[in-house]
Amino acid sequence: MLSAVLRRVFLSLLTLFFLAAFIFAATEILPGDALDVTLSADEMAMMPPERLAEMKRDLGLDRPAVERLGAFLLGVAQLDFGRTIISRAPVVDIVAYPLRNSLLLAGAVIVTALPLALILGVSAARWYRRPLDNVVSTGVIVGYSVPEFVIGTFLVMLFAVTWPLFPATITASTRDPALTLLAAAPLPVATILIGSIAYLARILRVGMVDALASDFVERLRLMGVPEWRVLLLHALPAAVVPSLMATALYAAALVSGIVVVELVFAYPGLGQELVRAVTRREVHVIQAIALASAAIVVVFNLLADLAILALDPRTRM
Amino acid sequence: MALPGTEPLVRCESLSIGYADADGGLVPVVSDVSFTIAPGEAVGIVGESGSGKSTLARALLGYRRAGSAFLGGRLFYRDTDMAAATVTPAVVALRGTAVAMVPQNPLASLTFHMPVGRQVVEVLRTRAGLGRAAAGDRMLELLRRTGLPEPTELARRYPHQLSGGQRQRVVIAAALACNPDLLVLDEPTTALDKTTEAQVLELVADLRRDSGAALVLVTHDLNVVARVCERVLVMKDGRIVEDGPVGRVFSRPRTAYARQLLGAALLIDPQRAPQARPRTAELLSLRDVAFSHARAGWFGRAPAVRRTLDQISVDVGRGEVLGVIGESGSGKTTLGLLLAGMLTPQAGAICFEGHPLAPHVADRTRDQRRRIQMVFQDPLSSLNPRQTVGSALIRPLRHFFGLDCTAAHERTAALLARLGMGPEYLDRFPRQLSGGQQQRVAIARAFAAEPDLLICDEITSALDASVQAQVLDHLLELQRGSAAAMLVITHDLSVIWKVAPRVIVLKDGHIVEQGATEAVFGHPKDRYTADLLESATLAARLVATA
Repeated sequence: MLSAVLRRVFLSLLTLFFLAAFIFAATEILPGDALDVTLSADEMAMMPPERLAEMKRDLGLDRPAVERLGAFLLGVAQLDFGRTIISRAPVVDIVAYPLRNSLLLAGAVIVTALPLALILGVSAARWYRRPLDNVVSTGVIVGYSVPEFVIGTFLVMLFAVTWPLFPATITASTRDPALTLLAAAPLPVATILIGSIAYLARILRVGMVDALASDFVERLRLMGVPEWRVLLLHALPAAVVPSLMATALYAAALVSGIVVVELVFAYPGLGQELVRAVTRREVHVIQAIALASAAIVVVFNLLADLAILALDPRTRM
Repeated sequence: MALPGTEPLVRCESLSIGYADADGGLVPVVSDVSFTIAPGEAVGIVGESGSGKSTLARALLGYRRAGSAFLGGRLFYRDTDMAAATVTPAVVALRGTAVAMVPQNPLASLTFHMPVGRQVVEVLRTRAGLGRAAAGDRMLELLRRTGLPEPTELARRYPHQLSGGQRQRVVIAAALACNPDLLVLDEPTTALDKTTEAQVLELVADLRRDSGAALVLVTHDLNVVARVCERVLVMKDGRIVEDGPVGRVFSRPRTAYARQLLGAALLIDPQRAPQARPRTAELLSLRDVAFSHARAGWFGRAPAVRRTLDQISVDVGRGEVLGVIGESGSGKTTLGLLLAGMLTPQAGAICFEGHPLAPHVADRTRDQRRRIQMVFQDPLSSLNPRQTVGSALIRPLRHFFGLDCTAAHERTAALLARLGMGPEYLDRFPRQLSGGQQQRVAIARAFAAEPDLLICDEITSALDASVQAQVLDHLLELQRGSAAAMLVITHDLSVIWKVAPRVIVLKDGHIVEQGATEAVFGHPKDRYTADLLESATLAARLVATA
């Protein structure tokens, strides 16, 4: 058991190391260095060559790539992503709060979506191909296929314009306390929630249908074991195991990939920061956000792996 | 046996059960079935796959699978109506308490994420109403009673950490938790090897003697019925075609179908022993061949497990049929795969016609590949579902002999005809054929290459008894005509008795016995061979002595 856990943790760290190296290499392969990319063509033309060379030396861009890779990886290991080229602000300070805000949004969504999806998925599977299942399955397809910007706009029209219950855009700022931010964000949460419930309920329903068709469930029913025990103690853990990996990847995607929702509601998250960094060509910020997103995928994967280890004794080899 | 005047435990009157088909209609799988079971009686239900025997067994608990329904008739357990339109609370109250069932697949019948002890305790607490401490004690007692070693330690293990036989014992322990009056066992030993089967059946017989419970045992294996049951019901196509004491039905079967089932049972009659042909030139010889699946990993050493095959030395003459017996895990399939070049032995030499044979199939010449062919257990998965029978058979002819289309087509039709299948089958797809026909096509495909050695790996295991005989007859006929040598790998001793004059017995990767089939079967020298024979000939001996 312990060795299985340690192996997975080790492999996760190894993956992170390769990811960091890959992100560095990807920016390295692109034409021009960090300074060339940051400066616009006009600024480049205006600048005397000696000044440019001097700046590159100051930034350490004249050193060989391997040396810079080493410095980059060393920095990453200490959670130091350097400073932005122009304003010389520490990248960590720029990225930290948006990252927290995105995690907050994703966390709020998952915490609300999971129980609802569980109830929907389990009851749909329990009454497989009955009216309830048909309603849930159809609803799930609709909820899953309507794009988030449509749901978002619709919710804004309904709950911010027609009945002004909630603010249409986020009034809190990036560095406000977590609760202030959440209190200001019911509409973005609700927007993502609909798709999330649909997605998670769909996976759980499939897993649960499989689990309920298994031999061990038939044996329990033949033994007259109460149905709630069969559903919740036997079938549900068996259904959750195959759904965990997909859920973890979905949660990870929520953190890094809800750019549309963040823009619609002006939510100060990672997606918005990424858009800002790209338009301002802040290479180091983009690197940090890319790495943070990748790290979240790896970490959530690891968590799912550990949860599977806890739930499925067959994997503890 | 039921005493006259005693109230029957189970009363079934013209019961019919149907399954929903694709059009939404109900197709009967059990039709118009009537029988009774007396308290304490042991009844076997035999029949081939699809005869409705498992459906009937589940109906005894008032249980039907999704998509099936009772179509008519009545089924009573004492006074409770088990075949009501909806499952009544009275029926559910009986399940696990008065009537318990051990379902078909012991390997998957336990919840994989729960320690086995807790699964027995669950039944004791929810069904027998015991408290936590009492249930724990009784669980250990039940595990001990079913012959499980060190119950305290074993109860904490998960199902995958137990062997198949141990898992079956845990399922039986859970079924016995409430001292049921009727125990239904559905193919309790089919997934187990012969040695474990004997132990489990002995356990069932013992438990029944102790508890006095009635027993219903569903199986396709007449030897199992002969060992445990007093009465037997023979089912065919959802109907009971025969019902009577085991001795009477086995010795004087009234229906042709029962005779056919019994005909497939192994009877060791020296007059019907397979006849060896005179020894001919050597075709194949194996010297000290060894194989192990264990390999060193990236981080770990190779685990010190026993070898799958060890010190295997065998000779096969031209045109000789050699039988290979062994139960699952004995290494018999591995032996076939080594010869076919799908696996590479770690030690030893394989000679084909006196020349060393390259271990891997890719290193063999085209001619060597043509001359060694293989037929697998599951014909459906070894035939390409998108290829017609014709194109499956024409391919080896064109590949090995470079025949043009018309010539290949003629040869194919002739080959099929020899297997008793008309040319109209050439355009069919494998799914449109029955299991026996599929296997005959697979045999035809192997013979199309005109092999010198044919490896048959459990080719009749997936087939029903009546079809088995037919396929074996055709196989033997083709083999005699072509003078190909055959290696017949099987766990079924009656197949060997029918086709193979010489036999080797494999156990744990070693050859424990070899020689003329008549001698080995008549006077087994090894204890293991004797056990295998003992359990395989029960039904036939009953026929002979009755």
